[in-house]
Amino acid sequence: MTLLPLLLAIYVEEDDRNLAERLKRREPAAMAQLYDSYSKLAFSLIYRIVRDVGVAEDLVQETFLRVWNRAQGFDAGRGALGPWLLAVARNRAIDYIRSSGGKIARGSLDLESAEHPSTFVNFESDLLTRDREMRVRKAIDRLNENQRHVIELAYFEGLSQSEMAERMGQPLGTVKTWVRSALKNLREELGEKAVTA
Amino acid sequence: MNCDELRDQYELYALGALDAEERAELDAHLRREGDPCIAGVFRARQMMTSLALMTPESNPPARLRKRVVELAGEPKRSWSGTPVWILATAFLAVVAVWLGMETRDQARALAELRLEAQRHNADLARLTEAFALMNDPVAKQVVFGEGAPKPPRGRVFVNPNRGVLLLASNLPPAPPGKIYELWIIPKGGAPLPAGLFQSEADGTAMYIRKGPVDIASIGVIAVTLEPEAGSQAPTTQPLIAAAL
Repeated sequence: MTLLPLLLAIYVEEDDRNLAERLKRREPAAMAQLYDSYSKLAFSLIYRIVRDVGVAEDLVQETFLRVWNRAQGFDAGRGALGPWLLAVARNRAIDYIRSSGGKIARGSLDLESAEHPSTFVNFESDLLTRDREMRVRKAIDRLNENQRHVIELAYFEGLSQSEMAERMGQPLGTVKTWVRSALKNLREELGEKAVTA
Repeated sequence: MNCDELRDQYELYALGALDAEERAELDAHLRREGDPCIAGVFRARQMMTSLALMTPESNPPARLRKRVVELAGEPKRSWSGTPVWILATAFLAVVAVWLGMETRDQARALAELRLEAQRHNADLARLTEAFALMNDPVAKQVVFGEGAPKPPRGRVFVNPNRGVLLLASNLPPAPPGKIYELWIIPKGGAPLPAGLFQSEADGTAMYIRKGPVDIASIGVIAVTLEPEAGSQAPTTQPLIAAAL
């Protein structure tokens, strides 16, 4: 029973490796497989950020097209396809809310570099498994309300700490304390522990 | 700041959620080979990837799959029972025909556009010339057809340096085999042929007879309907007669 997550992770890794190779060869059927593997996660994430089904559909389409067009630069042997696609999805959505909110795209350059295919090499293979999901949800549940709020603002809206302070109407120092403690808790639950699990 | 002090920023960096100044500081560390921040940011990226799993689940609409898959041009039906060489030959034949048609269509469209552009350029040149002739202070203007029971109506501009400009309306297109001819009729002299022209379908006409003219010697500017090849002397009664 304890070997099941490991076996699943190995299976996912092998599957994604083959899929990445086929994407690089621009096999149309690979796009269908990519969609079937990650569309639910990508759509959920984008929809959570933009909160509009029509916009989310457009951004999901843009996400898959971007991955399809950039697959040539992806290291199929060492790259992590799912994490890469999710980074692209998140960045598209945050870029959208930043631009539609009339804000200067403070992080547009950051977002672009954060989704470069070369960034997603040598990742652990179990980052998106069901087992991992349970651990993430458990870790989030353990945060207090303020800690959870700042993590959500950072992850779903890409806000910096000073922007969070402004949004929440709290002193920057207070927000930094919440962020620091929230990340420390998450690190303990998901970071170092995951490496040694 | 040292790496320990930057540790709290790894995750925010991985999320693209640092202010520019904070980001620049961490970037400087990441450029140094062997800097502990490199491993820290790497771990943070993995942790942030997992945070996607805290998202409440939503199901994408079924139509979205078709939209996405079609981006890659996935075939909509299976041809697995057909030999590959037949498919390839048929495909090449279709492509060749399509390319041929496409090329012909594009060439035709290009030629039409080129002609259209030439027409526009010619019209523009004529209009420019007409404005220059009209706006010259030395040009003389004569109105014709006013009060006449059967128009055409319009104006004639005579410019001693540039020539004669005729602007007319209610001048129906000449019938087949016929054309309009402009005449410069000197005072006390015989009509001199000054060029052939056709009116537009809407009955308007603009014609310029280029070249210097002696206004003082001109008695009348006239237009008659003539055989298609033109005439050396009017063969019909004038439709337009503008006395200077």
